[in-house]
Amino acid sequence: MFKSLSVASVFFSLVVSGTLLAGPLGIGTTATDEVIAGWDIDVRPDGMGLPVGEGSVAAGEGLYEAKCASCHGLFGEGEGRWPVLSGGEGTLDTLHPEKTVGSYWPYASTLWDYIHRAMPYTAPQSLTDDETYSISAYILYLNDIVDDEFIANKETFARVKMPNEANFYVDNRPDAQNERCFKNCADPKLFEIVTTINGVTPTGHFKEDSGVAANHYEGNPSAASEVGTSNEISTTKIVFSDTAVLGEGVYDKACQACHSSGIAGAPKTGDKTAWVSRIEQGMDILNVHAINGYQGEDGVMPAKGGNMSLSNDDVINAVAFMVESSR
Amino acid sequence: MGKLYEPALPKLMEAMATEARRMKGMDRRNFLKGGIAAVAGLSSVQIISKVNASSNLPPNLPEWQSHLGPGVVSKPYGEPSEFENLQRRTVPWLTVDAASSISMTPLQDLEGIITPSGVVFERYHGGIPNVNPDQHRLIIHGLVERPLVLTMDDLRRFPSVAEIRFIECPANGGMEWRGAQMEALQFTHGMLACCEWTGVKLSTLLDEVGVKPEGKWILAEGADAAGMSRSIPLHKALDDTIIAWGQNGEALRPEQGYPLRMLNPGWEGNTSVKWLRRLEIGDQPWHHREETSKYTDLMPDGRARRFTWVQEANSVITSPCPEKPCKQPGFVEIRGFAWSGRGKIKAVDISFDGGVNWERTELKGLVLPKALTQFSYKTKWTGQPWLLQSRAIDETGYVQPTLRQLRDERGGWSIYHKNSIHTWNVTESGDVFNVQIS
Repeated sequence: MFKSLSVASVFFSLVVSGTLLAGPLGIGTTATDEVIAGWDIDVRPDGMGLPVGEGSVAAGEGLYEAKCASCHGLFGEGEGRWPVLSGGEGTLDTLHPEKTVGSYWPYASTLWDYIHRAMPYTAPQSLTDDETYSISAYILYLNDIVDDEFIANKETFARVKMPNEANFYVDNRPDAQNERCFKNCADPKLFEIVTTINGVTPTGHFKEDSGVAANHYEGNPSAASEVGTSNEISTTKIVFSDTAVLGEGVYDKACQACHSSGIAGAPKTGDKTAWVSRIEQGMDILNVHAINGYQGEDGVMPAKGGNMSLSNDDVINAVAFMVESSR
Repeated sequence: MGKLYEPALPKLMEAMATEARRMKGMDRRNFLKGGIAAVAGLSSVQIISKVNASSNLPPNLPEWQSHLGPGVVSKPYGEPSEFENLQRRTVPWLTVDAASSISMTPLQDLEGIITPSGVVFERYHGGIPNVNPDQHRLIIHGLVERPLVLTMDDLRRFPSVAEIRFIECPANGGMEWRGAQMEALQFTHGMLACCEWTGVKLSTLLDEVGVKPEGKWILAEGADAAGMSRSIPLHKALDDTIIAWGQNGEALRPEQGYPLRMLNPGWEGNTSVKWLRRLEIGDQPWHHREETSKYTDLMPDGRARRFTWVQEANSVITSPCPEKPCKQPGFVEIRGFAWSGRGKIKAVDISFDGGVNWERTELKGLVLPKALTQFSYKTKWTGQPWLLQSRAIDETGYVQPTLRQLRDERGGWSIYHKNSIHTWNVTESGDVFNVQIS
């Protein structure tokens, strides 16, 4: 309540001068529709947030193979340990549950939202709305949720029902009930005592090392199983060219996701054996393959690693970094 | 040159300084350079004798007491002693790529309930964005009367709060669901930290924008490459959610969301969205990837729990532990941490025989809601093997469950929210191993 009419009228004259009533503390600037629109990218199961535009399963196939398959596999089966997108039906109540888009995800909208905000991994928010519709449609098709004629748009997409939707329920913990017992609370004769397996934990910082890598650049799941094979990783110090020095930053942001682990047949940086035949082709061919994309015997190199925001020079520099690290 | 004044050669340095004083100014620099190079060659034997530890022990004069040390601001931002090895560490085979991965806090080395900012565990889904605070904005919109854009300066004008709260990844201990696996405390329990967080209560910001009556949920979104997004119910926002810019007395670290993050005390860490750029108020949850595909709990019947936000009461013994074995028989203080996402820790008990019999411990220092709480038990270790366990009880009366009790409910193939009683096997040699009793 205002103490007097005059105070109220002063207050009123202050607030009507803005387009919006100020909050209790009057801090901040009005967020205009235009400002909000640029950042308001979220999509909800009821279709809220889905933009105008459309995409087909057919268009999605090419996009998926160029931008997604190098990690997620040609059929959504997952390369290496990158996420599996398809299959897994009927496994959720088994000892080896496979949680894929088709077997687990409760809402199709999540697919659109996530692809659009965070994929491809090395180039988030680089896909157009139509591309996102197409890739989403194709992944639904890989999961037998839509047929190959499906056209995804604001209306059709919001109507897609996912098979596992009904199997989610709200947290009902606390579940496990323990008692604060003090004497004879368990029967030691029934104890089954399980110890750890050697060679799983990096313990070099406090005891004789178990040989397990302590960071991603030393090793990864596939590399760990390859210890002792002929794929030798170079550990000698390398003097880099200026081009390669420029390329290191690009490599860290855009290339190492695949080239440090060797997924999708990517030659691992530092793996001389894997690189020797490639280097023999000459830098020009390597650069062309890296810029335009390349389907090789071992796997697929997406154009610019799937990150179209990179300039050709960025890619050339990164190639130089990888080559010089690997010979 | 600075480093050259630090070697353990006080007498030589003194001799050189004396010699240099007799020289003319123009020659002095060259003498010092040449002199020190020559000294480096002939002095290796002496250096070895100087680093012999016993020469620093009583009754001898320690080397570091026999000359001046570095002066003020020799390190404008200080760091731990070179003799410490306080580090985040990871288990690289857990994830494919470091930009979407996790590292763990060295709980074995912590000396209190505050986790130093530099070793707070990391969890990224798209690496650490390098956010310029002058160009960072928080937009609050949706079902509100007054959608706002807030700068960092705007945010600091709001009435602020500072709270000591833990943050824990719900996957903490997740590698142990199927069996004992990690041979180090840092990896069994290190997705956990406790800091003082400074910021504005989200409820204050919501007052400022005016939530419409139909507004029931808030989408929090980060400015990282993953565009991390989670749906937060309004009741949490009105209870204790903080929009934080400060951590342990300074700006947030980039790893922790600089310049702005959400903090949902007691809830799974993933809900505390870092590099916060947007809050949208809506009438229903968004069901985004990190609250459907991930961070849901698949149950043995094939159905799944969602919105499993709270981190239930948990505890672990930090000394002894695999990294800190029992070094000698005699008096020992068994120490550890307990924490609960539902409030304060009421008590912690320990068992030496794998959970057959239990003893009460003492709580030490600050006992705060949703914060790491220290417990202590004084005893003697005389070389006998122990199956050491700790059991937390929180102020709701919840008793930390056994592994069997947890598996009976959730099966052995879960990922998140494993808060069962943990067992260290102290062997006759004093070495400590991770074991599971079921």
